[in-house]
Amino acid sequence: MSAVIEMVRAGPLTTIQDAGRHGLLGAGISASGPMDRGGFALAAAMVGAAAAGGVEFTAAGLELAVVAGSCRVGFAGAEFCVRHNGVELEWPGTALLQAGERLVVTPGARGNYGYLRFDHEFDLPSVLGSVATNSRAQLGGLAGRPLRARDRLYLGSPAPTVSPAAQPAPVPTEAAFRVIWGIHADLFAPATRQAFVGTRFMVTPQMDRMGVRLADPAAVFAGASALSLVSDAIVPGDIQILGDGTPIVLMRDHQPTGGYPRIATIISADLDRFAQQRPGTPLAFQPVTVEHAQRLLRGGGP
Amino acid sequence: MSEPGPPLGKPTILPLGDGAVLVRFGETLTQAGNSAAVAYAAALRHAQVPGMVEVVSNLVSVLVRYDPLATAFQQMAGELRLRLAGVDSLGFAGSEHRVQVRFGGADGPDLEAVAHSLHLNTAEFVKAHNQAPLRVLATGFAPGFVYCGFHPPGLVLPRRTQVRRAVPAGSILFAAGQTAIAATEIPTGWHVIGRTGFRNFDPAAASPTRLAAGDRVVFEAEP
Repeated sequence: MSAVIEMVRAGPLTTIQDAGRHGLLGAGISASGPMDRGGFALAAAMVGAAAAGGVEFTAAGLELAVVAGSCRVGFAGAEFCVRHNGVELEWPGTALLQAGERLVVTPGARGNYGYLRFDHEFDLPSVLGSVATNSRAQLGGLAGRPLRARDRLYLGSPAPTVSPAAQPAPVPTEAAFRVIWGIHADLFAPATRQAFVGTRFMVTPQMDRMGVRLADPAAVFAGASALSLVSDAIVPGDIQILGDGTPIVLMRDHQPTGGYPRIATIISADLDRFAQQRPGTPLAFQPVTVEHAQRLLRGGGP
Repeated sequence: MSEPGPPLGKPTILPLGDGAVLVRFGETLTQAGNSAAVAYAAALRHAQVPGMVEVVSNLVSVLVRYDPLATAFQQMAGELRLRLAGVDSLGFAGSEHRVQVRFGGADGPDLEAVAHSLHLNTAEFVKAHNQAPLRVLATGFAPGFVYCGFHPPGLVLPRRTQVRRAVPAGSILFAAGQTAIAATEIPTGWHVIGRTGFRNFDPAAASPTRLAAGDRVVFEAEP
């Protein structure tokens, strides 16, 4: 045993995540995994040798104490203030934690999700190939639930070395979120589709790992009739429109299938950035081709 | 077996985000569209399509997730289009499962109302419900959840107007000409007609579910 860590304070929705539990949509389980994959990877790069699993926490931050042993921790994602035994450290960054020491993460200026990665593996059971917490199916992590104060995490075997990850290039905060038209886009009137790309929406506080509700101040979808659709497959980033016209962006713990119409899907290259938008942030959507979205994934420009 | 809806039209292939393709066999739920989706998904799972990472059949479509770093949308769509030819919708035979159900009472609080709405007494309804094996139409709504269908036209009821916030694992649900089995506690607007000890979800098992789309389910009243 290399270290025992105790949560002193855990904000809501502090969960264990890893690369995700893929390949089980047919069993009714979405993949989960970090809301901001780039931030999760950067936290690992900060450690140099990171366990597959890490701690995802929300804007409220968290506090932990090392009960026994020692370990190195890396932190990244969003913007937070971090103190190691009272001394403020740079964010993102890393620290060597010894028995009796504390790491305190408090809210920062921007973003929703932060990550801690450690240089030793969590001693947690792998559930269907992953330790990721699925908040919908209540699987993985610590008994399938978010972490709370007094929970202990046991760190065991040393983690493998990870190659350094490049910090993502800064994106102008006003940049539109690029989307691919959705599987039901043709069911919306041309004027509605036009308004969807010409209007600002807003992130609301109704957000969790399953989805983010948007406000639609221009009432783009107010007249959209409640369509009766055959339930169909969902992927992260899908924007579904509820019967009352509310848009919801489905995230990592999304339901595997759903019957609400989906107008568009946020592209993979923009989904991390979307997850980090705080309530009240205005958003615009910009349609791109699937070819364009895939060029971005292969490193073909911003 | 009933054959609701029109025969199968030409399937459509469309992107679902930048890492998945949806192959759609219809816009409404039909036996023909469902059988085609199940058979096509089964054929794809045995095919070697470069970059393909997951195949899931839905009620009338098949989701194919792929690695966009290994292949591209147009390439994957082309591979999938090629494999549409020669899929034998009726050629897919799944396994058969027997599911014992305690109908009515506290286990099935809606049984009497359901039977009454269909102008049957509860014994007649249970007999009619269990008369013919159903097919698993789709999985995926929730862990281990399955939709089974189709019942004949005399056994078709709309959903309840009120949603129950939670029904227990094993609940046998009835609506829209189908019977569904909840493997975990879920919210539902379907009628709850019984409960089974059959659990279609075990996260500790290598394969967490036992029922697959296309399988046959024989419902039996627990003696």
